[in-house]
Amino acid sequence: MLSWRAQARDTTTVSDESTTNSADELAGTSGSSEVHAAPANSSPRQEENDAPSPARAVAVALAGWMLPGLGQALLKMWGRAMAIFLTVGCLVYLGAGMRGNVFAPGGEDAFSRLGYLADLGTGSFYFVARALEVSGADVSHADGDYGTRFLATAGVLNVLAALHAYEAARGRKA
Amino acid sequence: MTPLHFSHFQALLLFALLISLAFGTLGRRKPVERVKYAAWSFAMFLLVGIALGWLMFPFSR
Repeated sequence: MLSWRAQARDTTTVSDESTTNSADELAGTSGSSEVHAAPANSSPRQEENDAPSPARAVAVALAGWMLPGLGQALLKMWGRAMAIFLTVGCLVYLGAGMRGNVFAPGGEDAFSRLGYLADLGTGSFYFVARALEVSGADVSHADGDYGTRFLATAGVLNVLAALHAYEAARGRKA
Repeated sequence: MTPLHFSHFQALLLFALLISLAFGTLGRRKPVERVKYAAWSFAMFLLVGIALGWLMFPFSR
């Protein structure tokens, strides 16, 4: 028969394990190397500090927007960070190489403004695209038209990745 | 930077490959599920792209 002290210790251990498992499930990291939940033996104060805060999640999302993949890297999701960085980087490189239109601010029509917003989604890579495309856009050929789509897709995809990082930082299933 | 030139199909292949990779990585958690989802997404991109191309063919001339 266990004493009340031993019983309390057993209950605490089980409770800690279930907390860790549910945190893993929420963060979507169970069974993978991308673990960023609090360890089972952490103190209540430590767990309080590790609890997802909205401000930290917004900072992670902003970092992910500015440099593709950085949001996931801050959450130690290395595979996803590399995949996002390479995908957005390749799309921007190909889009600029195909002489797609990198929209500038202050467009005259709605399409230009929407295009600028989409391009801006790539964060710092927007300036990389502008630097790569020294001879300007050429949308008189199919290549240039496809390049424009590649650049816009890179931006939208990076925004999606930043939102994913935000959700993961909040401890939601991502 | 030297301008890159691709055919329509090459551009479709590149686009489908890159987007499928990102979808698979972001959309699923387990590695096997990621590969399956990326492959399915890639196949759908190609299939729908080619199907839409053929659907538009009668209006191209």
